[in-house]
Amino acid sequence: MNIAQILSIFISSVFLYNVILSRFLGLCSFFAISKETKPALAMSLAVMFVITTSSIITWLLYRFLLVPFNLTYLRTISFILVIASFVQFVEMAVRKISPSMYRVFGIYLPLITVNCAVLGVAVLNVDMFFVDGKAIPGSLFYSLFQGICVGLGYTLAMLLMSGIRERLELVQIPRSVKDLPIAFIIASIMGLSFMGFSGFKF
Amino acid sequence: MKNRLIVSPSPHIYKDESVERIMWMVILSLVPAGIAGIIIFGIKAFKVIFLGIVSAVSSEWLLQRLTKKKITISDGSAFLTGLLLSYTLPSDIPFWIPILGSFFAISIGKQIFGGLGQNIFNPALVGRIFLVASWPRYITHFIPPLGYDAVTSATPLALLKRQEIFEQFSYIDLFLGKKPGCIGEVCVLALLLGAIFLLMRGYISWHIPITYITTVALFTYVFGAKGLFRGDWLFNILSGGLILGAFFMATDYVTSPLTHKGQIIFGIGCGLITAVIRLWGGNPEGVNYSILIMNAFTPIIDRYTKNRIYGR
Amino acid sequence: MKKFFKEFSKGIFKENPTFVLALGLCPTLAVSVSLLNGLGMGIAATFVLLGSNIIISLIRNFIPEKIRIPCFIVVIATFVTVVEMLMKAYSPGLDRALGIYIPLIVVNCIVLGRAEAYASKNNVFNSLSDALGMGIGFIWALLLISGIREFLGSGKLYGYKLIKGFKPPAIFILPAGALLVIGLLLGFFSLLKEKRK
Repeated sequence: MNIAQILSIFISSVFLYNVILSRFLGLCSFFAISKETKPALAMSLAVMFVITTSSIITWLLYRFLLVPFNLTYLRTISFILVIASFVQFVEMAVRKISPSMYRVFGIYLPLITVNCAVLGVAVLNVDMFFVDGKAIPGSLFYSLFQGICVGLGYTLAMLLMSGIRERLELVQIPRSVKDLPIAFIIASIMGLSFMGFSGFKF
Repeated sequence: MKNRLIVSPSPHIYKDESVERIMWMVILSLVPAGIAGIIIFGIKAFKVIFLGIVSAVSSEWLLQRLTKKKITISDGSAFLTGLLLSYTLPSDIPFWIPILGSFFAISIGKQIFGGLGQNIFNPALVGRIFLVASWPRYITHFIPPLGYDAVTSATPLALLKRQEIFEQFSYIDLFLGKKPGCIGEVCVLALLLGAIFLLMRGYISWHIPITYITTVALFTYVFGAKGLFRGDWLFNILSGGLILGAFFMATDYVTSPLTHKGQIIFGIGCGLITAVIRLWGGNPEGVNYSILIMNAFTPIIDRYTKNRIYGR
Repeated sequence: MKKFFKEFSKGIFKENPTFVLALGLCPTLAVSVSLLNGLGMGIAATFVLLGSNIIISLIRNFIPEKIRIPCFIVVIATFVTVVEMLMKAYSPGLDRALGIYIPLIVVNCIVLGRAEAYASKNNVFNSLSDALGMGIGFIWALLLISGIREFLGSGKLYGYKLIKGFKPPAIFILPAGALLVIGLLLGFFSLLKEKRK
């Protein structure tokens, strides 16, 4: 565990390899919910929570079940099952605790299950922090930290995009690029400007 | 109705200023830097500036023609975009680079959003990062000033990044522009002349440029290459595109916050990102990226700093 | 037979998963740097779509309503695992190029969307034609996007250099270029739609 590694995980998952703008994970929910700031923020918090917790859960699963029993080929199927049931649980909890929040999300909360960002980070953690089936030192901490940072990157992209799209509501965008096309182009320019963070060395 | 679209914070006091007038005044204030660039790098620099402007204005004309909108090339905004874009390019580049850059700046940076006053990002900078991402080899290829016998072709900031000694540039050289660099960025003296003119006439306010430059100076002083509190802040102010960016790009009416409070946040944000990229990033310069990133933040900043409506 | 053809053709144009429904964009954007990668992704996803649509429509009457989504996911994940193993064995190069986007077919909205919206309500025969149509619609969209990006971004098509002296703008093989290409294509298609009205 060292500072340089931590900082580079931070910079690369928040900016350079931003989960949405560069890795393209979770695009569906990104474009669907980023029309207004409030739901966008709520959604990002939910995603951040799920990504962080599922990074830990899948790491534990991989380390203590799949690796010892030589079942690593079941990675995809077991990860998605664990994530799906966990999200189901969160969904029930939210419905119980805050019905108003549940109403805001409507159909999108179940979609966190199939939000590629969650599974993507789980797979990425295993790819990055296990070498030849063995956990590298500090592996669990790195996985957790990467989960948080990816969530932060998702939140940042959501926040900026929703602010911009709220402003675009007030102006006359050419009709054929309204909504989705212009959102893609804005995302592209944002991705380009985040490339300013490439090649970081500490 | 003429183009009287002035984005400004309330109170809306009527002044005999139109968008056109402001644009042409900003262009006028940029003329000294252009002349300095041409003196320093020769006729090649003039070619780049000329092509950048012609391409920007004709792209605007063409796109407005195709989308059957009113032609507004006389308002000077496309002219200014082309001018600013060419100022951020080195002088020794193929002729099609400024042409394509200006076309991208006007089409994707501006017209696709519906034209002047509606774009989110500074068009000239959009053109610039398009060029950097597309043909990085041309954009980072610098030639030394005319009559300069050193063979180096790296900018002072790039030298600093490679930890090479930069004593070959004195502060006076940096201030007057005797260094490899981009056409309109090298001569700080000429840029400051233009900036003072704009500030005195009230076309820009001090909030963004001053906070921006101060933040960069402070940050590079504290975390400089030589150790804590020993950074060369003056060098950081005088090199790269900081002066051009802070006074002429970050202050763009359309893409920066409306309130003074927002502008200060904007300036500090730009300064932090620029300094972090300069100190630790892989790119030698961060001005373009930082202004674009803060452009993306502008709607959010505006949302949280807008003046409270009385009674709420 | 007529119905078969109707179900088959809707996915190709009228309900094209990428350009009309805007589903499954993540892999579309991420892997479309070259025609070869695009084709590989398209075929892999179509295989999973075919398999899952057939199985789900076969067992659709035995799945309890409440836990249908997890059940669908298990079926889909099984096929994805098969694809993963096949690809590792027979074309490791492509497997490396596509990286995490192969396991991510599990959460590709096209596959789950068709399972939920179509296969769980229709018979095997129609589900098969639906999957084929959607798959081909996905493949041609991927080929179009990856063709544009490979040609503009590296000056090649399917690995062959086409024009001499062309200096390709590298932006198009960067992630930002993918977003730009899709944005412009979506705008172009909606322009066409407006014109036709």
